Amino acid sequence: MGSKALLLRYLDRFGIIIVVLLMIAVLTYLEPQYFLTFRNFSNILKQIAENAMLSLGMLLVILTAGIDLSVGSVLALAMMCLVMADIVGGWPWWIVVFIGPLVGIAAGLFNGFGLTLLRLPHPFIMTLGTLFAMRGLTNLISGGVPYSGLSDPVRFLGSAQIPLSFLGPGATLPVSAIVVAIAYIGISLFLRRAAVGRHIYAVGGNPNAARVSGINVDRVLLLVYALCGFFAGMGGLLTAGRTNSGFPLAGQGAELDAIAAVIIGGASFFGGRGTVLGVLGGVFIMGLLRNGLNLQNVSPFWQQLLIGFIIILAVWIDVLRRRAAVRT
Amino acid sequence: MKAKLLGLASALAILTATAGAHAETVLLSMKGPGAGNPFWAAVEAGAKEKAAELGVDLVVLAPPTESDVQAQIAQVEDQLVKNIDAMAIAPTDPNALGPIVDQAIAQGVGVVFVDTKGINDGVTFIGTNNEVGAALAADFICKNIDKGSDVAILQGIITQSTGKARADGAKKGLTDCGLNVVAEQPADWDTAKAQAAMENILTGNPGLKAVFASNDNMALGVVEALKSAGMLDQVMVVGFDANPNAAESILAGEMTASVAQNPMNMGRFGVENALKVKHGETIDAIIDTGTVLVTKDNAADYK
Repeated sequence: MGSKALLLRYLDRFGIIIVVLLMIAVLTYLEPQYFLTFRNFSNILKQIAENAMLSLGMLLVILTAGIDLSVGSVLALAMMCLVMADIVGGWPWWIVVFIGPLVGIAAGLFNGFGLTLLRLPHPFIMTLGTLFAMRGLTNLISGGVPYSGLSDPVRFLGSAQIPLSFLGPGATLPVSAIVVAIAYIGISLFLRRAAVGRHIYAVGGNPNAARVSGINVDRVLLLVYALCGFFAGMGGLLTAGRTNSGFPLAGQGAELDAIAAVIIGGASFFGGRGTVLGVLGGVFIMGLLRNGLNLQNVSPFWQQLLIGFIIILAVWIDVLRRRAAVRT
Repeated sequence: MKAKLLGLASALAILTATAGAHAETVLLSMKGPGAGNPFWAAVEAGAKEKAAELGVDLVVLAPPTESDVQAQIAQVEDQLVKNIDAMAIAPTDPNALGPIVDQAIAQGVGVVFVDTKGINDGVTFIGTNNEVGAALAADFICKNIDKGSDVAILQGIITQSTGKARADGAKKGLTDCGLNVVAEQPADWDTAKAQAAMENILTGNPGLKAVFASNDNMALGVVEALKSAGMLDQVMVVGFDANPNAAESILAGEMTASVAQNPMNMGRFGVENALKVKHGETIDAIIDTGTVLVTKDNAADYK
């Protein structure tokens, strides 16, 4: 392997980190007084936690050449269920904290069964259906009304902060960031070390070849959609904690943010290619952009426009990179 | 060239440094962007006018849609890092914005709510007093029809504070001036429901002289019912909100009047009072931004 090919391989792997560092440099230049403060970074970590959870689940699904459009609605459903169990039901906290993830897994399994048992032609259709259905269910169980005032232990994962005042005023490590870190490291190990993890790539790369080589494709798909639902449920738990409430509008359009982060992170929409590190980079790029533009008092309309172009740019760079890789 | 640039940069740095040292910064956090919604555009215009008058810096931010609760939380969070002095906020979701408002108060930021009341205790609400607005409409009806005439009230969703305040204010005003309220029916802010309710009211009360509808959508339903009964010229219809289509209807001689909120004042009073809170002054718990009667004379302004 020539040195050029080696360089390309490293760029393929760690290029996204360079982009993130570049963005941090530019934003520091634009907002020298506030951007590069520990307090602001604590905020960024808090703000990206929800999208980080959804994107990690979305990566798994996209690796199998699938898509899950229902994650925003599942997040809202999980959030509303756990919030009502806590506030209306008065259930003990050690049950309530499991409700979010469990509702997520149930919704994910429902998607998975629809896909594998009903043989719907594409996950787009099943999850488009559940995008509407889960939002409807969320509104039905809550009556369309927000609830607030969660008990402290339920809020812990979403809102607690570990003070790091020795670093500077307002510097904290949000507990939600630790949750994100554990999830990302866990899934990264799972994809590389576990046999099922490698099967996920195989199913996305070539489902027929995977089937022939003895992989139970349906079981892999069920697992992947259940995991995606689980992370949506975790997103619901974190967001409920952060806002101290459950509101039926939560997570509207969040599926598009998650898909965007996965694509910016270099995963292939056709399955079989994508990394956890890339997705984390994608999540940070979107979070940094929003934070930086908020600090600059830029209208959210510009934020939408910029994120749109960044998605197109990211995929275009990917196309160029792959063309270059083919040549060498 | 390089030296010139450096000079320019340092001049800029000094400029921003001095500006930052003197002017206080107020954040206006709205539910939706001013572009595309005349209501928020007016709130923003009022805030800008007041900020210029007081010589403070104003930052206006809003999520791209009124349902994007998380975006509003992040915007406020990011502005708190910049140590804003005061904030006038219209919460997209009063419950979800609760924690960040508490954080702002703990940080010493002067906070007031505009347009929509939040859940945080002790924070002043600056917005429309719907009872006063409905009384304004009742007063207009009283002045224009004979004492003892039959009148009707169409209510919005009565479990909502706005619906109750408007219905209560109208009823009190109409009965106090000696009119005879023959019907009070809920129509849930909905045009079609209002039309059906009005048809039934007309059947039992053919001598009806006026209707107060708690919002314009319902008033327009009332107009349709009156049209098909051929009674539009005998019954006066007063709505609430002064929406553009209601203004058109008033100009066309169908609805008689409506009541407009004053979003400019929400911006003006919001900036002024948020700074007062910052400076430790005590202000009223509720500040009315006022309401205006809209008739044929001024309806063109609301189109």
